[in-house]
Amino acid sequence: MEFITRHKPIVTFVFCSLFCIISLSIQGGGFTLSFEGIISGVVSPFQKLYNGIHSGTSKLWAGFSELDRVREELKFTQQKLQSFEAMDENINQIKLENERLRNLLEMKEKLRYNSLPAFVIAKDPDNWYRTVVINRGSNDGVDVDMPVVGYHNGEKGVVGKIAEIRGSVSKIEPVISPEIKIGVKVGEGGYAGLLSGYAHNSNLCKIDYVSRAAQIKFGDVVVTSGLAGDFPAGLVVGTVVQTEMHELNPYQRVIVKPIIDFDVLEDVFVIKKSPDRGLFDTFEEVK
Amino acid sequence: MIVTYIITIAVVFLSFLIQGHQSFDALRIAGVKPDLLFIITVYMGYSFGSFAGEVTGFGSGLLHDSLSNSPLGLLTFPKLIIGFVVGMFGRSVLKSTTPTIILLVFVASIIKGIITLILAFIFSEAYISSIIHVIIPEAFYNAILSPMLFFIYDKIYRSELEREGYL
Repeated sequence: MEFITRHKPIVTFVFCSLFCIISLSIQGGGFTLSFEGIISGVVSPFQKLYNGIHSGTSKLWAGFSELDRVREELKFTQQKLQSFEAMDENINQIKLENERLRNLLEMKEKLRYNSLPAFVIAKDPDNWYRTVVINRGSNDGVDVDMPVVGYHNGEKGVVGKIAEIRGSVSKIEPVISPEIKIGVKVGEGGYAGLLSGYAHNSNLCKIDYVSRAAQIKFGDVVVTSGLAGDFPAGLVVGTVVQTEMHELNPYQRVIVKPIIDFDVLEDVFVIKKSPDRGLFDTFEEVK
Repeated sequence: MIVTYIITIAVVFLSFLIQGHQSFDALRIAGVKPDLLFIITVYMGYSFGSFAGEVTGFGSGLLHDSLSNSPLGLLTFPKLIIGFVVGMFGRSVLKSTTPTIILLVFVASIIKGIITLILAFIFSEAYISSIIHVIIPEAFYNAILSPMLFFIYDKIYRSELEREGYL
């Protein structure tokens, strides 16, 4: 006992180091998850409170400073609304025609999913990971692996998927995370590939397993293919910024800039779509 | 001493909330943001010794890991080591001047980054390019902010430092 008291810093250091090493060694185990859950459960109410105070103050200030701008925007929006109302009639006609043509071609109608709006209440405090925490959890019907989308400059883009859920908060694994894997199609040719984050600290994504013969150019749009089961088809992920070909690699690699700017991301939508179980069941049967 | 613990918990928790808030991302320069929790860890080790440094590092690291998608311990272990090592030198060896503080935080940040990189390589995924894209910019950012933050912490812990005879 005297030894422990006398060498308190060293004993504490050894004990804490062992904790870290054991925890890292059994990563992904129930112990790790439950421990993180306890900390997360304690911390998340404070995060919500801080977020509430911050956004409340910002909104109050914005109310004073941005009144003129809002008035102008209101006028502009009203004008736009007028023109959209005029367009509505045309759109209805086009929809009916589209439906008729689809029926003629016997095409399946594209599935639509309900989405749940959410706010970002916290982001990864470290530079090594880019985790995003939102104010919706299992109480709101959110489930692991549900896709999340957001808007940036009026464009809709994939944010990521739900990685972990608690009662009222969830963690999102963003598309810029190297751990994520999304089936995508690139460019006009719709070349298939597997998208993941470029590096832990990067704002870019990479697509692997793209055929070397694929003709891909700068600015080509990358959309989800819907093949992996998690994401519905046709969601925009980003645009191509570069392609890389190495002699030893039978595929080319495509570097993608996501639509979403993760530095300014505040509002997201969780798409209430669970992964296609059929695909997983098939894998289980094969096993 | 109890007061010091309570103040430290409050400072760590407040730093964590600020650092984890989305508006803090506006401070990103060259893709990185400063690590306030790391700076308080270095400060605690520097001012109050190894025990205070390692406990602060361990606690703030656990908070980091709880919010991050990182495996538990990946962001805790480097802070624990730095808190312990910095505490071995402390104010009695390194005089509290602006250049000393900048150099101390810069070197500590680099070492923390390298330890994180090694751990990520073993237990997760690591890229050597992180040295240029994360470790060095973050070290510069932490070092630049450290004199100001150390000054604020000196004010907060004034009575404790006076008791230790540093002020």
